[in-house]
Amino acid sequence: MEISWLMGLLGGLVIGAAAAIFLLVNGRIMGISGILGGLVDGSGRGNWPERAAFIAGLVAVPAVLGWLWGATTHLTGNLLVIIAGGLLVGVGTRLANGCTSGHGVCGISRLSLRGIVATVFYVLAGGLTMALLRHGLGVL
Amino acid sequence: MRLVASAAAGGLFGAGLLVSGMTDTTKVQGWLDVFGAWDATLAFVMAGAILPMALAWRVAGRMYHPVLGGPFPDPPRREVGPKLVLGSVLFGMGWALAGLCPGPALASLGFGGAGGLVFLLAMVAGMVGAPALAARIDKLTLRRSAMDIRALTPDYAVSPQIEPADLPALKAAGYTTIIDNRPDGEIPPHLHAAEMQAAAEALGLTFVVNPVIGGAMTEANVTAQKAAVEASSGPVFAYCASGNRSSVVWMMMNAGVIPADQMIATTARFGYNHAPLRDMIEAAAKR
Repeated sequence: MEISWLMGLLGGLVIGAAAAIFLLVNGRIMGISGILGGLVDGSGRGNWPERAAFIAGLVAVPAVLGWLWGATTHLTGNLLVIIAGGLLVGVGTRLANGCTSGHGVCGISRLSLRGIVATVFYVLAGGLTMALLRHGLGVL
Repeated sequence: MRLVASAAAGGLFGAGLLVSGMTDTTKVQGWLDVFGAWDATLAFVMAGAILPMALAWRVAGRMYHPVLGGPFPDPPRREVGPKLVLGSVLFGMGWALAGLCPGPALASLGFGGAGGLVFLLAMVAGMVGAPALAARIDKLTLRRSAMDIRALTPDYAVSPQIEPADLPALKAAGYTTIIDNRPDGEIPPHLHAAEMQAAAEALGLTFVVNPVIGGAMTEANVTAQKAAVEASSGPVFAYCASGNRSSVVWMMMNAGVIPADQMIATTARFGYNHAPLRDMIEAAAKR
């Protein structure tokens, strides 16, 4: 077993614990596209402080840890790819009403049909895009 | 207290993303790269996260309310529609392009450099634009699924009973006048003419109440329907229980204008059998 798999499992448990706290303590589903989307499109005006606090924690803690450990994203330098990716992720997650955290972690864990279907489609679409752009066209 | 718990959950989530390697785009792209150097890490992250969360859902099921009060989330919706599928496909494509989804995009903001910030801004722009796209998809799909608009002519459609929620799709389909041909006595209160009228007028639609009693249509019904159609600035949509009465009124008001055979054939296409009314229509046409 590779070390990155163990780290993945460990980090995953921490992610699941965070989602469990958000559910059991605040009564909310930890879906990031929903938390952020509700803030930026105005639909979550009613509980915006709770959303903002979550995002503040989400940005601040890894920023500090990343600075201590020297983390890096290896994000592509191609601005066009970054912008296209961001737009697609933003539109898609709001249209589907969820992303990896909401549909993936929170949805699959309660056997939600929508969560499972969404996850199947975004993983398939991601895999096909990768196959086409990296191995077909050699872009990524 | 809610804010503290919220920030703690956010912080913990961020730490988990960092530890798991999900803020590193090469790990995410490696997971999607089935034909290349496939990286299984993301599967371990997902499994690790789903485990405690599955437990949390079971615990939540035994609690009356969350620790800090308020309701638990509603049970998951079941409908799998075009928005869910199309949205997930678009998301998956963007996910592959940059190797970031919303959580890691925020978590890596502190060390992601200018590129990470550009990604976040583009993602927010996409999120802001999404409701308009969602509304368009709703319009396109509602027109077919939820309602059964039976257009006898381009300017006059009939339908079985509709609900207030159907009205936006009717407006989107171009109808400007809605005629209610069903007496209130047949239906539950939330579908009564006054409720429907308020909902229709809120959307800027003209709403005409012209109740037709089954089997006892009057001359006044025909006159009122004709007046409403003539006064309408655009196509008219009339409904009753099945659309049957709305289609009979239409035949009567067009007696002598459109040949009876043609009207019987038109309504038959939508399942209405009005052949027995031929004599009545032809008698009305002579007047």
